[in-house]
Amino acid sequence: MNKKLSVLGIILVFAIGITSCLTYGANEKVVLTYWNGFTGPDRPALEALVDKFNKTNSKIEIKMDIMPWDSLYQKLAPALATGQGPDIVAFATERIGTYAKPGAIVPLDDLYAGSDGLDAKVLPKALNDNMKYNGKYYGAPMNFATLLLYYNKDLFKQAGLNPEKPPKDWNELKDYAIKLTKESNGKVDQYGFGIASKETIPMWPILIWGNGGDFINYSTKTSMINNEKSVKAVQYFADLILKKHISPPVLTGAEVDKLFESQKAAMYMCGPWAVNGFKQAKINFGVAPIPAGPAKTVTLGTGVAMCLTKSSNHKKEVYEFFKYWNSKESQIYWALNTGFPPNRTDLVNDPALKVNPYVVAFSSVANQTQFYLQQLTNFGKIDTDVVTPAMENILLGKMTVKESLDKAAREMNKMLK
Amino acid sequence: MNKSNISSLKWVKNFFLVLLVIITIYPFVWMLVTSFKFEGDIVKFPPTLWAQRFTFAAYHGIWQRIPFLIFYKNSLIFAGGVTVVSLLLDSMAGYAFARLRFKGRNFLFILVLSTLMIPFQVTMIPLFVELFKFHILNTYLGLILPRATNAFGIFMMRQFFITLPKDLEEAARVDGCSEFTIYRKIMLPLCLPALASLGIFHFMFNWNDLLYPLLFTNTVEMRPLPAGLALFMGQHVIEYAILMAGSCLALAPLLIAYLFSQKYFTKGIAMTGIKG
Amino acid sequence: MKDHIIKKNSMFHDPNKVGYLFIFPSMLIFTVFVFVPLIVSGIFSVFDFDMMGNNIQFIGINNYLRLFGDERFWNSLFNTLYYAIGTVPLQIIMSLLVAMAVSRRSFFTTFCRSIFFLPAIGSMTIISIIWTFLLDNNIGIIAHYLNLLGIHTIAWLQDPVWAMPTIMVVSVWKSFGFNMVIILAGLLGIPESYYESASIDGAKKITQFFKITLPMLIPTLGFVLITSIISSFQVFDQVFVMTQGGPLFKTETMVQYIYHVGFEGFEMGYASSLAEILFIIILIFSVTMFKRLRQDEQSY
Repeated sequence: MNKKLSVLGIILVFAIGITSCLTYGANEKVVLTYWNGFTGPDRPALEALVDKFNKTNSKIEIKMDIMPWDSLYQKLAPALATGQGPDIVAFATERIGTYAKPGAIVPLDDLYAGSDGLDAKVLPKALNDNMKYNGKYYGAPMNFATLLLYYNKDLFKQAGLNPEKPPKDWNELKDYAIKLTKESNGKVDQYGFGIASKETIPMWPILIWGNGGDFINYSTKTSMINNEKSVKAVQYFADLILKKHISPPVLTGAEVDKLFESQKAAMYMCGPWAVNGFKQAKINFGVAPIPAGPAKTVTLGTGVAMCLTKSSNHKKEVYEFFKYWNSKESQIYWALNTGFPPNRTDLVNDPALKVNPYVVAFSSVANQTQFYLQQLTNFGKIDTDVVTPAMENILLGKMTVKESLDKAAREMNKMLK
Repeated sequence: MNKSNISSLKWVKNFFLVLLVIITIYPFVWMLVTSFKFEGDIVKFPPTLWAQRFTFAAYHGIWQRIPFLIFYKNSLIFAGGVTVVSLLLDSMAGYAFARLRFKGRNFLFILVLSTLMIPFQVTMIPLFVELFKFHILNTYLGLILPRATNAFGIFMMRQFFITLPKDLEEAARVDGCSEFTIYRKIMLPLCLPALASLGIFHFMFNWNDLLYPLLFTNTVEMRPLPAGLALFMGQHVIEYAILMAGSCLALAPLLIAYLFSQKYFTKGIAMTGIKG
Repeated sequence: MKDHIIKKNSMFHDPNKVGYLFIFPSMLIFTVFVFVPLIVSGIFSVFDFDMMGNNIQFIGINNYLRLFGDERFWNSLFNTLYYAIGTVPLQIIMSLLVAMAVSRRSFFTTFCRSIFFLPAIGSMTIISIIWTFLLDNNIGIIAHYLNLLGIHTIAWLQDPVWAMPTIMVVSVWKSFGFNMVIILAGLLGIPESYYESASIDGAKKITQFFKITLPMLIPTLGFVLITSIISSFQVFDQVFVMTQGGPLFKTETMVQYIYHVGFEGFEMGYASSLAEILFIIILIFSVTMFKRLRQDEQSY
């Protein structure tokens, strides 16, 4: 019995020795932790690219922790404060200021410097601008998306419209939206143009910008949401919604997606992520540039940035990953496997991307994009406390457009101080 | 009341029960059916529960797309561990608050009760720092320990112990049994229905929790099932079929545990003999 | 005999002291993992600091003063009370009725018990997602069938008047089975003989309910009432998934607001002061109710 035990003991000691050697060997690789919120269908492409990086790179290993964005934001604060945070963290560009100001993430101007640095010139202009806070780079591009007009070709045919000719400007958009709206017995059976105003990828900003309006004047740090052009833009579409019923009044992003997928809405603005779902649902749809506004042709751009946290001691290795991620090969793989446009504008004519016409379409408007509420420290508060309720007040008929936007401007000015 | 009246009352009762069953079960039927649908068939107008074609794709996919067994195992260890420890500690404390006299009993009980009133969002940051200082972040111990006792459980056990007749322990005390023996050998067996349902409550509460285990673990290897399911809820796109498949699989052990606990409810009926 | 006396004096046998031993492990855990963090959060509430815990400034009771002038705080307090009043009584009455309806054991009642408990074991996040789907005014199955019956429907979750009641209904749906199980356990503890002798005396069912069932259930019902109130004051998940506090903050509850202040605005100090106030409000409610419950329990 004792003999057996001692044999077992020896084996155990050896086993521990061997495994500790093994782990010691593995430890020579620098392990970088990377937190992000890429749950959902883009995750496999992300994991594949990171796997490839880990396999080809003998010195660095990226360990990802993927969780819902709201959990990530809750986890981040205590983790960073105790030095338990990751090396790399991703978040939407509009949040850079929130973390940059208290010093939770560090500037990375040198990432963009030098011949082997990231080439800022190939980034879509708006994306490049919004990697910065107070003039300094804080982020490296993780992804980039643009919005296009999705339209249902079958519903176009039914309404007697040419399915190969989506609306080109606001006049056509209005005309088509009304033609595509169907009502019976006081209930709308089909909406011409769905516009979501809350918990959504921002849609109203596109319309406001199209008319030459905006949200914030960054040089004077005051709100522009109640200037004449902004008010006019909102009035134009609010009238269409409230009087012509081209869209349900208050709508979330998820609801408008469902409306289009169930063929109850004929047109709406959305990003590249929706393509796959509509294909699976066998919707006969097309994508087109957002109809030109009276002032300019513009669409919304959004991006996620990868940032280097204050607690990381591996700047060099982190930079290597940032560069790998933004290389042509990685970006082509990312674009083809997620349907997102690449972070670079120099790939639009690349033959590899031609396989997927949607990617080309979303990519072709990259330099017409504007980002929403960027480079602030309190993006979340301005968006949910001011802009969303302002739109709700209008669309629920509680206030006129002017009243509501004046109120919003007053509140916003306080927050911008 | 005559006979026909009683039987018509019974019919009314059964009618409402059946109605309630339908309202209660419908979302779950939806969940189950949706888990077998093709993703493209889920959002449709007019909406239908049924589909023309079905697939096992979601159940197949879930094993490939997330380390499902690891998540399952972690959930079992975390929720199971909390349940076992908490049942013991809750019933002990509940017993003391119900049947033992000691100074400051009411004050201490209010103190216990007050722990229920603190939203997690407030204590989570200090708690995170504590677990970090104790070096038990990202361990099962770190997950289980803060949940090892629970005011809800203590309160519930107290309420059940309090209804037991006095003469039970008097007799045992005369026989010279220690207080712990009285609790374990006499009192606890009488509270099996309460204990069984509390066990289910603890288990399901922790089994479904997302934020708590997510905050205090740092690696995928330590994550529980809800964190795994959350991977199918993208910021823009929710993959309904696979999410519903995962939810069905997550629900199954809870349902089995509940059905199993029903056995103890019979014992609860049997125990009334002692009291009468 | 001597043995016996020694034993009597040890802590394990002294009924006046042994209680501390029974509650010690629980109290230790509460102290370390709840009270200490709570005190820390109380300290947070008198400071102003950023996300990284830097730029710390002592601001005294400023956060508490600010709260009095904060419309959103009063709004969230009102919504929370509204939610509590709207859900708790309905939930308890429903749980009690259902528990009595399924208390006799048969195949049908066992089936009902299992079904009614289903919502309680599902995750609130998943359940909210399903309900959001079913309640959709345009493509949801509920609106669709109501429309076919000629009933005009609205977007319940987007309507300032109806959003909160909709959340209440989903919440009651979710938790009546949970309380049913607790009440059922209480019902099963009432000796059958009480009813038998009452029947012989010719007492009607309704009299039996008020004379036997209800008084015997007081500890259970008191428990259900207090815990339901406490949890209704902390409602969060369903609001978070279904409305995010909208439309126009009409469903913003206190915890939702605390979350918003703490994790959108990163004002941890102010969030802590809000939480301390919530804590005090719930504490007052529950202590009052517990005292009342203690009086009612005197007969035990």
